[in-house]
Order: sequence, then structure tokens, then C-alpha cells
Amino acid sequence: MKYKLCVFAIAIFLGLAASGFGQNNATSAQDAKTAPVEVKIDNFSFSPATITVPAGTTVRWTNRDDIPHTVVNDKEIFKSKPLDTDDQFSYTFTKAGTYDYFCSIHPKMTGKVVVQ
Amino acid sequence: MNRKSEQTLALAGAKDEIQFDHNHDGIDRRGFLKCMAWAGAGAYCVLQGGVLHSYALGGLGGHKPAGELSFVQISDSHMGFNKPANPDVTATLQAAIDKVNALPQAPEFLLHTGDISHLSKPGEFDTVEQMLKGLKAGDHFFVPGEHDVLNDDGQSFRERFAKGTQGAGWYSFDKGGAHFIGLVNVMNLKAGGLGSLGAEQLEWLEKDVKHRSKSTPIVVFTHIPLWSVYPEWGWGTEDSAQALGYLKKFGAVTVLNGHIHQTMQKVEGNVMFHTAMSTAFPQPKPGSAPSPGPMKVADDQLRSLLGITDVNFVQGNHALAVTDQTLG
Repeated sequence: MKYKLCVFAIAIFLGLAASGFGQNNATSAQDAKTAPVEVKIDNFSFSPATITVPAGTTVRWTNRDDIPHTVVNDKEIFKSKPLDTDDQFSYTFTKAGTYDYFCSIHPKMTGKVVVQ
Repeated sequence: MNRKSEQTLALAGAKDEIQFDHNHDGIDRRGFLKCMAWAGAGAYCVLQGGVLHSYALGGLGGHKPAGELSFVQISDSHMGFNKPANPDVTATLQAAIDKVNALPQAPEFLLHTGDISHLSKPGEFDTVEQMLKGLKAGDHFFVPGEHDVLNDDGQSFRERFAKGTQGAGWYSFDKGGAHFIGLVNVMNLKAGGLGSLGAEQLEWLEKDVKHRSKSTPIVVFTHIPLWSVYPEWGWGTEDSAQALGYLKKFGAVTVLNGHIHQTMQKVEGNVMFHTAMSTAFPQPKPGSAPSPGPMKVADDQLRSLLGITDVNFVQGNHALAVTDQTLG
């Protein structure tokens, strides 16, 4: 948990840095890519279900269930293949906005990425 | 068949039978009669008053009612699944096939209610296709589960298992005086939603049953339950009420499904709903676990939670007898 908070804090810091120092955008985005924000799929839910990240952040989903899941944006801006156990899917968010997503196999599973 | 003497629950081990007498007038239309049977516990429910009768399958002996149509339902084979509690779903599917082949009367056909495969992989479909060649049950009819349509909107499923069907794979046929309807409710699922039939399929269904006599027994088979078993886990179909509305005029409607990997039964008016066990792995009772993920059970318990469903249709009185048999 501490680790996740730490990653989160770094991501926010990078985001602030990016918005504060426009010239360094590319570098910041690059740094963010090397430390993706993690979302775990556990017990048929996305955890955390909502994350807020700066533009340029890569989010990485990992399926830790024994059942396949998908990560599909409502507008299909991003869409994973079926993720079997321990499979991962990453997507880099370049534009600010709110991105709702769900598992197309188990549509009760929903999540949100807020990109600032 | 001595059914009258049955009063309440009986523990009969692996074989239980529930008979639904559609013709009787004692149906409780104010609410619904709900009954949940856990195959593993060996419990089966009895509702007196004419709606449901049940009796141990052993009581049937060699009796074979005249004009009987019998078929078997297999569901949720999940070929490719290899995690606890069942690392060998091939062996348990084979055990299910052996069970069918050992029935005293060979069923006339097979209904597979979906999730043939775990990941829609060609190899998974191949394995099941090959194994079912050894099943002694005439024709095979399939509807897809959500695990069968993962990559290509179900195209490869339809090419193998549902050739010549309508839309996403729905169809109907007549057997032994009953009308069978295979519905697809695993396509185009929406965020936050349940299983879905969709407008096109509903329109087709309305036309399909419009001119049929109301005395025709109807058997609907589909993957996700058409009644709200547990919406929190997505165990229901959002537009099922419309579908069931088209079937209201019929005196006897039976809905068979899979998806929830346990037997469960409900009677509502003229409709009997029945869900089948999986041949691969059990799932928890609704709300009894943090998620509907596979239930991990001891090796020696596994087969008592997996199984097949055997259905007998007796012409003349429109009764369907649904029997769940476990593999253990």
C-alpha cells in the first residue's frame, strides 16, 4: 500500500512538474512511463476503481483472478485483449479527461481514469 | 413413479429429480416459488400443491413413459481452464460424457448452454468438438457463453457450433412436439449492465412464437439466467422481461441456462427456470463470497459439485422432468 501511495505521489508530482514546467513535458512523460500506475484486477473488481493521473501517465492493469477479464473504454479509446491470469495491459493517457472503462466479459466491473 | 408421497426435502446423493407439472392449477401466481438445490449437498426441493414434484431418480427404475422425449444439458465446460479447484477440465468433461452415455435411455439430443471454452481459443473449441463426438446423443445444439465470443464477436463460435443460425447465433427448432429456442445473451454487454438479448433478437423471438399454438410446450435455452439470480454479480439478463412477455400465452415454458455453475430453480407463473451445473468448476452461492470466482474445494469434493442435467418431456401432459446428476 505504501508503495502504491508512493508511486501515486510521484505520478502527481511529475504531473505538477509537467504542468508547471511546460518545456519539460516530454521528459516528465518519459519518466511517468517508466513508473506506470498500477490497477489490480482482483475478485472481479478494479482496484483502485478510480485513479487520477497526470497526462502522459501509463496505467497498467494486472489480472490476478483465475478468470479472464478485459479492460475496455466505453468509447473504445482503449481496449485490451482478454487477460488471463497474471496477464497485463498498459495504456498511456496523453489527453486530459475522464475515461470510464469496464470488463466487457463481466460488465458489472467498472472503473475510471481521470487524467489531469 | 411414486411422487405423491414425497413431502419435503430428501437427501438422495448424486441423483435428484424435480418434476414441474405445468398443467396443474395450483400455481402460486402472486409471487413465485423458489427452490435452490445444491447438487453437492444432495438436497432437492419439493413443493406440493401441484407445482413441483420431486423424487429420487432411483424411483424411476426402468420405467419409460410412452411418447417421451429426453435430452441432456451440458454447460460451462470452460475448456482451457487449468486452475484450482480443477486443473483437468478435460477429465471432468469426459466424466460428464460418460454419465450421459451410461443413462438407461440414450437422450435424443444435447443442449450445451455455453462457455464451451475458457478463452475462445481454437484449440479449446477443437478439444470439445472432438470429445463430443463420443457422446451418444443424436444432434448437438449450442448457444455461446461470454467466454466463447471473446475475440471475434463470436464468429469462430458460430462457424463451429451454430452454423446457419440467425444474428449472433439464435435459432429455434421443433422436437417431439415441443418448440426449442436457443437465445444469445452474451453479446454487446454494456458497462454496469447484465446479460443482454438486444432489439434484433427480441424482434425475431416475437415473430418466431407469434403463430404457435399456446398449448405448444416451449423450451428456451441460453447462457446467462433469464431471471435475476443475483444482479450484483451480473447474474441476470436486462431485457429478459420483454422476451418472457412474448412467451406469456404459452401454458408451459421451461428456461434452461448455465453461467452460474450451480443448480438453482425457480417457478414463476407458467415458467420454470433451471440453471445447470458446470462440468469444469463450481461457483459460490450468490453473495456468499467476495466475488463469483471459481470455488476452490477439496479434490474429493470437486466432482460432487459438477454435473449434467437430464430432461424428460412427457407428451400429453406437458410435464418436464429435470434431473441433475453430479459427476461424483
